[in-house]
Amino acid sequence: MNSASLIATLALVRDTFREAFARRIFWGFFVCSSLFLFALAFIFRIDFSAGPPMVHSFQGTLAVAIYYVGTALSVFASASLVSVMFEPGRIELLLSKPVSRTHLLLGRYLGNLAVVAANVSYLTGGAWLIFGLKTGVWGGGFLLSALCMIFVFAVLLAVIVLAAVVLDSAVVATMITFGILFAAAILAQRFSIERLLSSESSRQLVELLYYVLPKTSDISGIVWKLSVQEPVESWMPVWSSGLFGAAVLAAGIRHFQKRSF
Amino acid sequence: MDSAIASLRPLHSACLNVSRGHFVWWLKMSAYAIQTEGLTKVFRNQWAGAELRAVDDISLSVPAGTAFGLLGPNGAGKTTFVKLLLSCCIPTAGRAMIFGEDSSRPEARRPVGYLPENHRFPTYLTGHDMLDFYGALSGMDSAARRRRIPELLHLVGLEERAHHLRLSSYSKGMLQRVGLAQALMHSPKLLVLDEPSDGVDPVGRHHIRAVLQELGKQGVTVFLNSHLLAEVEQFCTSVAIIQKGRVALSGSVEELTRGSGYRVEAVDVPEQLETELRAGARSAAQVNGSLELFFATREEANGAIDRLRAAGVAVESLGRTRSTLEDVFIRTVEQKAA
Repeated sequence: MNSASLIATLALVRDTFREAFARRIFWGFFVCSSLFLFALAFIFRIDFSAGPPMVHSFQGTLAVAIYYVGTALSVFASASLVSVMFEPGRIELLLSKPVSRTHLLLGRYLGNLAVVAANVSYLTGGAWLIFGLKTGVWGGGFLLSALCMIFVFAVLLAVIVLAAVVLDSAVVATMITFGILFAAAILAQRFSIERLLSSESSRQLVELLYYVLPKTSDISGIVWKLSVQEPVESWMPVWSSGLFGAAVLAAGIRHFQKRSF
Repeated sequence: MDSAIASLRPLHSACLNVSRGHFVWWLKMSAYAIQTEGLTKVFRNQWAGAELRAVDDISLSVPAGTAFGLLGPNGAGKTTFVKLLLSCCIPTAGRAMIFGEDSSRPEARRPVGYLPENHRFPTYLTGHDMLDFYGALSGMDSAARRRRIPELLHLVGLEERAHHLRLSSYSKGMLQRVGLAQALMHSPKLLVLDEPSDGVDPVGRHHIRAVLQELGKQGVTVFLNSHLLAEVEQFCTSVAIIQKGRVALSGSVEELTRGSGYRVEAVDVPEQLETELRAGARSAAQVNGSLELFFATREEANGAIDRLRAAGVAVESLGRTRSTLEDVFIRTVEQKAA
């Protein structure tokens, strides 16, 4: 990457941050996270007298709760940040600059990811600090769950990008992303579902959907295991979700390159 | 402000990190700032099965260093043409080149400054920050941007106070001015302006024209897309009129507005002679006590002059008639529509 490309990338990331601040997206996320941390600090009664297994169990539950709350907040916060870029009168000026379309879209993607990463780090770091101060348990695995959350958001952001590029609508992009989250939660119970299905082809379809779509529910299990410091048997949900995200992002870039504004 | 216009930086000043590669590229630049070959854009509505040829096989060349005006009625395809030129729109056929480089390549757009019509600048930015953002996208380093921004804000007449106001509180005229500053940020060699004086008061319009004229003297090619025909006539050396996506007429403003008739002006013309001369003229008018007669041919004009001289009437002035660009525009559009 030459210096002009680096300057342009930093400008795009910084612009996304500025827009997130101006639209109060950053502050909205920050306030929600702060309220959650406030509740954790002053409302929940957590102490070591409950015994170490109970504390670890609570830590795992907390990590999974943060994972779901943080992911949902991130999706709500980000959908408009991508589609707003394609507004008439704004996109033309961006496209007239000596920056490739791929670079423009990835710059916005990175900026959006950075906005969410900053907030997720605050939420997870704050919860880890409060939990540690109250219980004296400083499990590093809990902090790793923040990385899982940022990773899952990166995958879902690819879906938001593709939906925004194709459909030009923040609302539809949000609906599709939540639809995928919902589908992932159902498909995580595929063995139970398959028992209810009569034909082999429908069972294969469920299997296919499970392997193709991101496994956000299964990753929540990994988050639990990381925070309670149990070994993770399979990282398949992570890498296969990563492949899905990469493929969807590539499709978004491809469509953006061919689109007329 | 005039001194600010005079002190406009020469082209390709220190604003950009001009590498050896860029310099070689600059030397190779074409004699034409803009060239299009069979540029076509067809919008298709797959549901309704309808299609619209917004730009239809336009081949146009704009020599470097000229001021070129693109005219046309609403919906003629002017803005689509500009979008195709800057690769905002993907052509159905043909191609556009900027200084000899295919405009779909990002590097080809480096020498271009663009002010779009109906722009929507990020309203959460101040004027200063907006210039900083677009300057960075054009590849300017932070030192160059810091140097350039105050110069440009002064040039476009935005007061110090306005630099730190969010764009959401700017008036339409102020947005146009800061938009022009944005287009000039990286000292472009080609300036593409879509309705630059839209919403600007007459003083502001005059000022924008002065800035553009100064840039023209420095060799910057200005491509102006405007509805204001008088503005185009005053500033541009060449124009193209497009209608229904095709070039209906193009040429130098001088050639296009040169009339085919002759005008003779005289005072104190005897009533009888005036009646006879009016009968032989294409048209006639009384202007501030003078009689102005318009003739289609030189022979008719000479005949009228002979009769006036024979009657002892002094001829005040005579010359070729000129059309305004508006006349040419309306004539062309009506002919094509017919």
